[in-house]
Amino acid sequence: MKKVIGILVILGLIFIGCGKQAPAPGVTDTEILIGNIQDLSGPMKELGAVLPAGSNVYFRYINEAGGVHGRKIKMIVEDHQYNPQKSVVAAKKLIEKDQVFCLYHVIGTSTCEAIRPILAETGTPLIAPATQSGTMSDLSRPAGNLIFHTDTGYDRQTVILVEYILKDNPNAKIGIIYQDDDYGENVLKGAAEAEASQGISIQKEAYQRGATDFAGQVGNMIKGGATHVIIAGVVKEPIIVMKTAAAMGYSPQFFGTSPTMDHRVALAAGPAGEGFIAANFANLWTSDAPAAVKYRELCEQYEVPKAYMGMYHFYGYMTAKVLVEGLKRAGKNPTRKRLVNGLETLNKWESGAFPPLTYNSKDHAGTESVILVQVKDGVQTVITDWID
Amino acid sequence: MKGRYEDENLNWIPLLIGFVFLLPFFLQFATYSYKYYLFVLNMAGIYIILTVGLDLLSGYTGLISLGHAAFLAIGAYTSAILVDQAGIPFFLSLIISPLIAGLFGFVIGFPALRITGMYLGLTTMGFGFIVKRLIISLREWTHGAGGLDVSSPVLFGYTIKSDWDNYYLIFTCVIIAVVLGRRLAKSKIGRAFMAIRDSEQAAEASGINLAKYKMLAFFISGLFAGFAGVLFAHTNHFISTDHFDMLLSIYFIIMVLVGGAGSIYGAVLGTLFIVLLDNLYVPMMEDWIHSFLNTNAGDIQLLIFGLIMFLFIIFQPMGLYGMWLKVRIYWKIFPFNPRKRFT
Repeated sequence: MKKVIGILVILGLIFIGCGKQAPAPGVTDTEILIGNIQDLSGPMKELGAVLPAGSNVYFRYINEAGGVHGRKIKMIVEDHQYNPQKSVVAAKKLIEKDQVFCLYHVIGTSTCEAIRPILAETGTPLIAPATQSGTMSDLSRPAGNLIFHTDTGYDRQTVILVEYILKDNPNAKIGIIYQDDDYGENVLKGAAEAEASQGISIQKEAYQRGATDFAGQVGNMIKGGATHVIIAGVVKEPIIVMKTAAAMGYSPQFFGTSPTMDHRVALAAGPAGEGFIAANFANLWTSDAPAAVKYRELCEQYEVPKAYMGMYHFYGYMTAKVLVEGLKRAGKNPTRKRLVNGLETLNKWESGAFPPLTYNSKDHAGTESVILVQVKDGVQTVITDWID
Repeated sequence: MKGRYEDENLNWIPLLIGFVFLLPFFLQFATYSYKYYLFVLNMAGIYIILTVGLDLLSGYTGLISLGHAAFLAIGAYTSAILVDQAGIPFFLSLIISPLIAGLFGFVIGFPALRITGMYLGLTTMGFGFIVKRLIISLREWTHGAGGLDVSSPVLFGYTIKSDWDNYYLIFTCVIIAVVLGRRLAKSKIGRAFMAIRDSEQAAEASGINLAKYKMLAFFISGLFAGFAGVLFAHTNHFISTDHFDMLLSIYFIIMVLVGGAGSIYGAVLGTLFIVLLDNLYVPMMEDWIHSFLNTNAGDIQLLIFGLIMFLFIIFQPMGLYGMWLKVRIYWKIFPFNPRKRFT
């Protein structure tokens, strides 16, 4: 008798488990809700408007073509003012209140790190965080299995740049000017790796976020006799560093990590910026890469303002493409788990502008290659193929 | 002899405490996104502990501090390091870390002996920057600017993990902090603080040791902030130097001012008001404005927040607690209100 009851109970439980499959949050028959947290009013607010606008170009294209498995994609954008605490509040709101399906393209390193505990607690995936910090793809950290990084980490970029320099100039003396925050922290990690593998020592000079005077750092580089200087800044810093160096009569070969890839660097630095080489994790939006061509076509079709178009707008567009691919692979009845599984089937997937992306259960870094872009006669020119 | 609290009606306090403990159940009943509201309340609770301490310093003693986020950071980082790296139990860290933050407060108290007003504000602000640099350079323990993962608090063998558990942990601490703050304010120490605020010379003439009490004020304030910091680290599970920037210190001062400087309940009301305004009401208003105006979301949020602050300071300089007192007096002497006093 007991056995029969036991079996019945188990069967009953199985039936309950199968029959009442709870729909995933944020997914209805017609819509998939996506959460995005950007800096709309903080220090990086000029990116806050551009990145989601780029993503929306692709979402609009997909929605007009019928959506993903018949569901339209809708994105909610929250503001975190580049403050990790506000980022946590925004993530909590998106996940608990708005019930989004997943988070996507959250900008900033510390702001992404801060929401890890929430991601882990609720099992919400974060696709394509808009930071190149290598810590994002660290699977040993909380929620590491839920975060899918599309960009090559700063640490990896630094290693690649050092190797590139040493290949042609084995006697080069390398210096790094880095931002004294989580971004710089990741660059330093790469520098330490490169020092260990190449058996060299790298001169390191820090500056504070928001600094506008780099005479001290450049002066120290001159004293140290650096012949190749890597600038781990954003847009303003490489411009000022190169101009300061020119004014001080110092002309090493300058390199930059991916945030310095912005076309404004070449524009504003003028002659001082000639020859500047930046690493990038995606093909130029002006290039002939298939995704870039399609991007320009769609921008024209949707009448996107010229001021929006550029590297960051294109970045938003491309990451949207990765997200949509994941949603497609999540199947007709997407759940958060299926989205993760779907993305983990990407194997050397060609997005059309990013290097081939690969995810599996042991690797969420996506890619580890960059291309180098040099300013020649004031114009950014790709000088290498993907290197890793 | 008249007791310390005899002029106050304390009957509603058990009711209030009961309400605080039942609130999560109401919320769960009312909305299924109750976790979000609990989370916002938890944040408010942590800030309340800090602003009660800040009120003792700024409201009662009249010493301004623009570096209180730094004390929060010291408490948070100390506890994270003690618990996760040195293996000290959470319960002990809850006592040790605030003491360390208090000691830092004690040190900051030294310049306060010689300078006052805006200059003290600048000094404490500088202290905030120093602490940030310090955290970055103590890379071995703090992971520099990269931030630190923090474990969940374990009390008596029970791991406190969800927003629900955090709420009870935090609000138990809030009640302890508020009661402590009130007792302190009504004690000899509190009276000495107020005497210093009103006139340093008069206080000294009455036999109050200025140096001792000013440093004590900073110590106590640091203690409260450190206490808040411990809870902050262990309920947030991630801390970085970006969490504790200058703006947060200014927010704390605003919370105290809006609530009404020089009253513990004021600090509580002010903190609740600002945190709820910032996270619930302003976004609501923003949605409403967005329904007919197309603007960039972030900008308008700051605008509304600034506008409310602006109007508040102009029309209610006594703060929320002052507002409450006015209403209460009005009610007590009704209908014999002198017309001019209440307009």
